[in-house]
Amino acid sequence: MSGGPLTSHVLDTSSGRPARGLALTLFRKQDDDWVIIKASETNSDGRCSGFLDREQFTADTYKLRFDTEEYFRRAGGTTFYPYVEIVFQVVRPGEHYHVPLILSPYGYSTYRGS
Amino acid sequence: MSGGPLTSHVLDTSSGRPAQGLALTLFRKQDDDWVLIKASETNSDGRCSGFLDREQFTADTYKLRFDTEEYFRRAGGTTFYPYVEIVFQVVRPGEHYHVPLILSPYGYSTYRGS
Repeated sequence: MSGGPLTSHVLDTSSGRPARGLALTLFRKQDDDWVIIKASETNSDGRCSGFLDREQFTADTYKLRFDTEEYFRRAGGTTFYPYVEIVFQVVRPGEHYHVPLILSPYGYSTYRGS
Repeated sequence: MSGGPLTSHVLDTSSGRPAQGLALTLFRKQDDDWVLIKASETNSDGRCSGFLDREQFTADTYKLRFDTEEYFRRAGGTTFYPYVEIVFQVVRPGEHYHVPLILSPYGYSTYRGS
């Protein structure tokens, strides 16, 4: 599958544009630690993929960290959130998981997409 | 101010009801560590307050942790999110900060309220 089994998309609702160049980092939970899997960033469409391939995508707990403060700082503004971390459980690793972030300086939302 | 300068409210949009008895924990960032300030839970209206008083409410970085998995498990269901952590910066500690969570098993949102 193009981009792998896990993808993300960041939309900046304060600008009405995709959030380009926002740094994302994927971690996997291992015992009590978070192990870094991939550091990446959103493209010009606000999308990010290629975090891992199907074989690496195990049924585990993962965390996606979005560097929101850096993103808004580059755009000349500030934000309530120094970063956003979304922790989620992959139960059926044969499926595709889409973990987007709809973001503005003083609010955000996310959902499990497919 | 009733409840202190920081309050929260959890609404469960999967049931259309306030999320009652959901455990919340407030932390303050101190160097590279998170220091626990108060462990609490939402009341029958889904609200939570009394985390700290005005004197303790310094201009710092805080984290609110919501025990979402435990909440949905008690309701007989599962969720994508083992917990939700919202990290935010208090810049004007003289103001009131309301950090709510609009929650369902496969999505959530938050915003800075006042």
